[in-house]
Amino acid sequence: MKLLPCLLVSASLLATPAFAHDEAALTAAPPGDPYIKVSDALPLPEFIPGLGTLFVDPATLPAGPFLAYDHDGKLSATVYMTPLEDLQNGTAYDGLGIGSHTVSGADIYYNAGHPGVEAPHAHVVLYHDEGAKGRLAE
Amino acid sequence: MRLARRQLLAAGGGLGAALLLPRKLPAASVEVIEMRGSARGERIWFSPLGLAIAPGTVLRFVNRDAGNSHTATAYHPDNFDRLRRIPAAARAWDTGFLLPGESTDIVLQAPGVHDYYCIPHEMAAMVGRIVVGRPGDPGWEGPAPATDDVSAEVLAALPPVDEILARGRIEGPAG
Repeated sequence: MKLLPCLLVSASLLATPAFAHDEAALTAAPPGDPYIKVSDALPLPEFIPGLGTLFVDPATLPAGPFLAYDHDGKLSATVYMTPLEDLQNGTAYDGLGIGSHTVSGADIYYNAGHPGVEAPHAHVVLYHDEGAKGRLAE
Repeated sequence: MRLARRQLLAAGGGLGAALLLPRKLPAASVEVIEMRGSARGERIWFSPLGLAIAPGTVLRFVNRDAGNSHTATAYHPDNFDRLRRIPAAARAWDTGFLLPGESTDIVLQAPGVHDYYCIPHEMAAMVGRIVVGRPGDPGWEGPAPATDDVSAEVLAALPPVDEILARGRIEGPAG
């Protein structure tokens, strides 16, 4: 009887196509549908210093998750972008997906805006291994 | 400097002048306006923020921000239906999006005050002001009045015209 809940949970995860919790499908770029490469859709560099090569499911904008890959296509961080005014006005970004359940560190900092998320916002960056921040730096 | 995408535009000089401009380029003076940003994008700005030039000067907008794209876009109804903040004799001008390292040349002829903004960063008051010629020049048009079309932050960021004329170029707080 105790197995049933576990099986149900496993089945529901398997039925979700490449969602943020389907880690195996996201470990290497490109992550596949529904994610698109940000630089293909917006006038931004393919590799953004500090963030790497970003993929996002457009339906999750503006918060993300944005999946951040290094130059070798390895998933290195999950990034969220939360407009400050939205937060101040009561918007909550709950239940967001994550690229990997392994998180070695986190950075949160202000960003004045860029194509795609033009309102001033916070970047919340979850690094997935000890060397990730260095690999995304440039 | 890498010029991956470069175009020459003439604003306010008429079509004939625009067609002749490439031949005159070597003799024209060039002023560079850099699009800059901090490493993590906390701050973004034009450098210089305010600039006085003679009519016909080549303005070279260069994106020096490694992690962001920028535009220099005149406030004009032809640019996204914005209220005009450049002289009536000037045509709308816009660099389009410039990726890191890219640049675009623009030539301004119409005397007066040209206010412009960066499309993705206007909310962060990334704007600039160019003064072409001097008051009294034929066709001179001074700064546009405050309107609801631009935010108080944008208006506050634009340096006074007399200060630009007195100093020639003005760097913003971040520059």
